[in-house]
Amino acid sequence: MVNFKRGKPLTLERDEHLASIESIQSGLESLNYISNHQIATAVFLAYQLDKPVLIEGPPGVGKTELAKSVANMLELECIRLQCYEGLDESKAIYEWKYGKQLLYTQVLKETLGEILEGAKGLTESVAKLHEFGDVFYSEEFLEPRPLLKALKEEKGCVLLIDEVDKSDHEFESLLLEMLSDYQLSIPEIGTIKADPARKPLVFLTSNNTREISDALKRRCLHLYIPFPNAELESQIVHARVPEIPAELRRQLVTFIQELRELDLKKVPAISETIDWAKALILLHTESLDADLVKQTLNVILKFQEDIELVEGEVQMLTNKALKA
Amino acid sequence: MEKTVVDFVKVLRTAEVKVSPAETLDAMAALEVVGYQDRTLFKNTLSMLLSKNPDEKETFEACFEKFFTFDDVTKTSQDEQQTEAGEDQFDDEQDGNGQPGQPGGKGSGQGGQSRGDHEEPEDDDLETPPPSSDLGKLLLEGARSDIMIKMAEAGRAVEVNQIVVFTQKGLFTRKIMDQMGLKGLQDEITELQNESGPGERRLAGKLKRARDQLRDQVRDYVEKQFFLHADEHGKQLREELLKKVKLSNLEKRNFKDVQEIVFKMAKKLVSIHSKRRKTYKRGHLDVRKTLRKNMQYDGVFFDLKWKSVKVDRPKVMCICDVSGSVSNYSRFLLMFLYSLAEIIPKVRSFAFSSDLGEVTQLFQNSNLEDAMAKTMRDYGNGSTDYGQMLLDFKRTCMDDVDNKTTIIILGDARNNYGDPKSEIVREMYDKAKRVIWLNPEPRSNWQVGDAEMKKYAPNCHQTEVCNSLTHLERVVSNLLKFAA
Repeated sequence: MVNFKRGKPLTLERDEHLASIESIQSGLESLNYISNHQIATAVFLAYQLDKPVLIEGPPGVGKTELAKSVANMLELECIRLQCYEGLDESKAIYEWKYGKQLLYTQVLKETLGEILEGAKGLTESVAKLHEFGDVFYSEEFLEPRPLLKALKEEKGCVLLIDEVDKSDHEFESLLLEMLSDYQLSIPEIGTIKADPARKPLVFLTSNNTREISDALKRRCLHLYIPFPNAELESQIVHARVPEIPAELRRQLVTFIQELRELDLKKVPAISETIDWAKALILLHTESLDADLVKQTLNVILKFQEDIELVEGEVQMLTNKALKA
Repeated sequence: MEKTVVDFVKVLRTAEVKVSPAETLDAMAALEVVGYQDRTLFKNTLSMLLSKNPDEKETFEACFEKFFTFDDVTKTSQDEQQTEAGEDQFDDEQDGNGQPGQPGGKGSGQGGQSRGDHEEPEDDDLETPPPSSDLGKLLLEGARSDIMIKMAEAGRAVEVNQIVVFTQKGLFTRKIMDQMGLKGLQDEITELQNESGPGERRLAGKLKRARDQLRDQVRDYVEKQFFLHADEHGKQLREELLKKVKLSNLEKRNFKDVQEIVFKMAKKLVSIHSKRRKTYKRGHLDVRKTLRKNMQYDGVFFDLKWKSVKVDRPKVMCICDVSGSVSNYSRFLLMFLYSLAEIIPKVRSFAFSSDLGEVTQLFQNSNLEDAMAKTMRDYGNGSTDYGQMLLDFKRTCMDDVDNKTTIIILGDARNNYGDPKSEIVREMYDKAKRVIWLNPEPRSNWQVGDAEMKKYAPNCHQTEVCNSLTHLERVVSNLLKFAA
């Protein structure tokens, strides 16, 4: 095990899981998330340096799953913000409870007379009203959205900002303050900061549909999760579908790995491998054969043209998988 | 160590991985935590903090392997495992821990050679007096790694990372040798040779051999530094040059480089301009605005405010002359426009020399090279006839031109004394948002001979000389600015 020169003092119970890269790896493994060294390093550094992790990679390699598994491992709440075009601060950070504000205005109107009792002239009345302060723009009227909620979470939490690349450029700028300083500014109230000892662990995922801005990238650790190699994938299938016999698992993984070499519109990801494994179990398969593969091809391939392309190669691929 | 990380960052930057100072600081902080013992961990950490997209990761990988090389050490250590297990251990330790920083250097087998050197005269070792100069001592008695460190230090002192061209190699080798104390060693050798004792002479020979070896070693080191620092630098110089050179003078072998530059420029433009593209969802109630607006009506909602729609994607129609003289310009303009698909998705392109044809589909469906070749084949022949082109345009797509369309015409306006039909350009001018004429010829030639720019120019919003990539970039950038 590596000894680290300067780590954070392990004040909290959950920190034990994050004490070293090995403990993260084993912790995740116990939750059936098989990580490689790089992934574990990212989580470790994210915690040690208080930096968000930006995870990129093809769909279905377990980007979102990583955040969820870390939350599970630490037994913290996973607050998720799903990004989409048009997402803005009122849905991501906070919103005023307009209804409540209106209701209270009505109530206030009725009691206004009592409050202003004894005040002479306009100036005095206004002065008197001022004594009440800005009740309508206080925390009671604030509806916290995911980002704000994550900051206020007392036990700390895992914040998952999913598919950042789907949001608008403006939204990225909104995130900057949160990601670099773990604070949010609300004009009417002031700055809300996270408890320094329990800063949320932030994960951002991106499918690379567009380039994320440099400003955002600069603030993050950048983790790229590629498709796993055969060994790792086999482990993952084993962890997720334990009932699959070892022989079939080997064949299945070899087949998928071969498939990824082909020129497909969408190559099968790990999630598809797992689905396929489950499907094969349901069909009581013991060993791959060309016909069976052809029938279940739609589990792993999601485009008709891909299926047509692969159908011609199935025999060859199956033979390869059986021989390997 | 910090210096080493900074050096490495510099290498990354020359290799076009954008690393900001803040990221360098982050990397330092992270290394504080993870330490330098574990090479994979060290690499993963730096990779995560310094390279931030798959391309950069690849470059990072290459640079890291080049910068922190140690395979030579392991090779020699295998050779000598028995004889100097102790020292190897030291070397290995260095691998991970202290000096991943001493870049490059250990030429293969050099360790072995210097070792052999030690062994050979070992039998008469007793008879040679100890060398007196610093460098001599180091060479004969110091550990290999000490020599390496000394060399790297000297390299740093003479700023070997400033090396730019290949021919500077000799100079830097010399400089490093001097810095390491070559003079002292030389003096000693001369002195020893003048002495008569056999021991002295043997020592002189030994020192000489060691010196020559050191020179080889230093040369090797400088060469590696050159590849690390200057190779990319040279590429940058070449790119700068290519950006300024006239496109018609480009040779086929440069096309690949130029294409790369175009993509790079396009990427830059995308990142600058894509922020302008706003597409708010229509039909969402803007609660904030509505409340604020209706405050004055006693909070009764009767003036609803909706979230606005702002679409400012420019529509571009690009008419390119593809006759011999201008075809190269057209090629790169089209390349530029199609690389910008992310921010200007609606590009329609037309090619002509005499008859006009739409090539939009062609460029969308096949790669640039093929599309360009096909365009040339189909439209590239025949003498240029701008009048016919304009007539064709009017007939086929004048109806599609609206006040959001920008029309770019690229051509030298040399009409072979035919009817220019400038009234059609006028019509475009009236209908379109902007009409831009790009002419590869210098302004002074615009009215010479059969050129008709004089008639076309007043009917365009903008006329530009455009004959290098820099010009192209400027034009496209302007296009995007005005489109907003």
